[in-house]
Amino acid sequence: MKGTLLTGNAAAASAARLARVDYVPAYPITPQTEIIETIADWVREGTMDAKFVQLESEHSMMTAAGTASLTGARVFTATSSQGLLYAMEMLYNVSGWRAPMVLVNVSRGLAAPIVLEPDHNDVLAARDSGFVQLHSETCQEVADLVLLAYRVAEDRRVMLPALVNLDGFYLSFTRERVVLPEQKEVDKFLPAYDPPHPVRATKAVAKGSAVMEGFVYSYFRYNMHAAALRAKKAFSEAARDYRELFGRDYGPVEGYRLDDAEYVLVMSNSFTTLGRQAVNRMRERGVPAGLLKLRMVRPFPSEELAALLRGRKAAAVFDQNLSPGSGGILFPEVAASMYHVKGRPETLLPVVGGLGGKQLTSDEMTSIFEEMIAVRRGEKAPEPMFLMRSEELAKAKKAVALAEGEP
Amino acid sequence: MMLRVRFHGRGGQGAKTASRILGDAAFNDGFNDQDFPIYGAERRGAPVAAFTRFSDGDITERGFIFSPDIVGVMDDSLIEDPLANPFAGLRKGGCAVVNTTKPSGTLLPDRKDAKIITIDLTGMALKMLGKPILSSGIAAAVARVAGVSEGSFLKAVADELREVGLSEEMVKKNVEFAMAVYGELAPLTLRTEELPSKLELVPLAVVVSGEGMEDVTQTGNSAVRHTGNWRTYRPVIDYRRCTDCMICYAYCPESAMSVGEDGRVRIDYENCKGCMICLTECPLKAISQSGERGLQ
Repeated sequence: MKGTLLTGNAAAASAARLARVDYVPAYPITPQTEIIETIADWVREGTMDAKFVQLESEHSMMTAAGTASLTGARVFTATSSQGLLYAMEMLYNVSGWRAPMVLVNVSRGLAAPIVLEPDHNDVLAARDSGFVQLHSETCQEVADLVLLAYRVAEDRRVMLPALVNLDGFYLSFTRERVVLPEQKEVDKFLPAYDPPHPVRATKAVAKGSAVMEGFVYSYFRYNMHAAALRAKKAFSEAARDYRELFGRDYGPVEGYRLDDAEYVLVMSNSFTTLGRQAVNRMRERGVPAGLLKLRMVRPFPSEELAALLRGRKAAAVFDQNLSPGSGGILFPEVAASMYHVKGRPETLLPVVGGLGGKQLTSDEMTSIFEEMIAVRRGEKAPEPMFLMRSEELAKAKKAVALAEGEP
Repeated sequence: MMLRVRFHGRGGQGAKTASRILGDAAFNDGFNDQDFPIYGAERRGAPVAAFTRFSDGDITERGFIFSPDIVGVMDDSLIEDPLANPFAGLRKGGCAVVNTTKPSGTLLPDRKDAKIITIDLTGMALKMLGKPILSSGIAAAVARVAGVSEGSFLKAVADELREVGLSEEMVKKNVEFAMAVYGELAPLTLRTEELPSKLELVPLAVVVSGEGMEDVTQTGNSAVRHTGNWRTYRPVIDYRRCTDCMICYAYCPESAMSVGEDGRVRIDYENCKGCMICLTECPLKAISQSGERGLQ
């Protein structure tokens, strides 16, 4: 078999190099640092032809990335967690400037309390920023989605920045087989960026000017929304070209054993692999289980999702994130996609789990299907599940007791 | 009964304060009040609107007043300004109080159904306050037309102007100014009716049918937006005394001065905002100020 062993971080850096990016403004943060270290090494060695600059913060990094993109440079950068939040103000500016740069986010739970392992509160905080969002399950997907992200972002129908998400540790530091495409094939897939009215020293242009009036603001915001929606078509077309060149097939959503599935688990990112395993275990027990992976989170693939969920008995939405006082962030989006759909699953179960990278046993994953079945049969109310095992709670309580100095 | 008043002025003229004075005055009379301004980026001279609603019942409205019973226009140059559009939506049977020296019949010839009251507030303010600040004057005119009691109104003028930090002397002068305006007008009985309007919503697909990511690529277009009507005073160069030292040219913050082929400085009156920095900086006092719109 072809390919090499690469971490998710190395896959992201490799894709940036294959995309022939011109400029990489950077700021390190665990678990993203390896991406920029790798790129810095390549630039220093001369094996990557890009300008690498370390900025003094993620806010400056994102400002540099967006403005450089407006000059017509192809820009890549990466961050994680607190870094993404620190850059947040600029995310909205960069998308408003319609600067098609690509940002990789390596998911990590947000402080406080401080944690280093992943959940998706960081990346979903950027949900409304106007960035196209693609989330990866494998290191192979990281590389492929970075390349696809440039095609979508730079598509004249879209012209929005894109974010590719990968989970810290479970992808960022995980090595697995990655088949990197050949440079000359990538060059066919991703020609040089041709910017519309770029900022040049020789020609004045103002981007993102103050408009003051709400109706002008609405005009631009509605247009951003329309552009984001068009990203779905742009993605599908780019994915078709990608499949033809490289043989790997990507849609905005991906079904797993869905054909005759009656119970469907909806989830995203690296723990989807655990979801697939749970589907297989349930199938072995004779339960028609299936999985629906969200690869594209913005634009939200409502129609694709509804088409694949209609007619099922029950679905559960696994949110590896928590909006305190509401619950999982993606659950209401999935529910809204189904609301007017005839034959929508009667049961829609919210599940929160894996916060701060909390490990999930295979029994924990199959318990989601068991809960769906029990709710569907009317044996239980469709109350949200918050996954936590008894031995985990015991260990957490022990740690808390130690911290508080109890004997 | 609810009365809706919309004030139109320019940044610095006192539209916001006028809306607060009127609101206070009505409140003092026992009405419920709601007042607020819209002033964008707070640029001096830029069009400003402010609103006062008062009612003997609950006020169940909020925000921009589309159909005012009364409009108070503090600057007649705003009448031609499509962004300000001060008479827009004025109700049938409503009233426009306009600070102007122009005859009332010329201001709103198409609206026989509305009452137009003109008064030279700028002239009175310059005489009584020494400055073209119009908050107490326009508030007085509107309060009188609306039938607000004198005691409540004068207390409101003093309270609001103290609140914005005016000296007792200026407060006193403003109260006198307000009383003079109040005394010139009489209450109106307004029976108003909203103008018919037809809502036409644009579907999203139409809104987003263009490129939707337009940038500013046209250079030098700020001159297209004429700001000369913001002036209260116009600077005038006395070319017999001017030595072409160019100090005014260098100091003009609006680039409203240019140098002609004869080497002499010209003022672009379509864009000069009348800040008078040129007059202040001219070492030879070769620039004088002349009042706009009949002012001296």
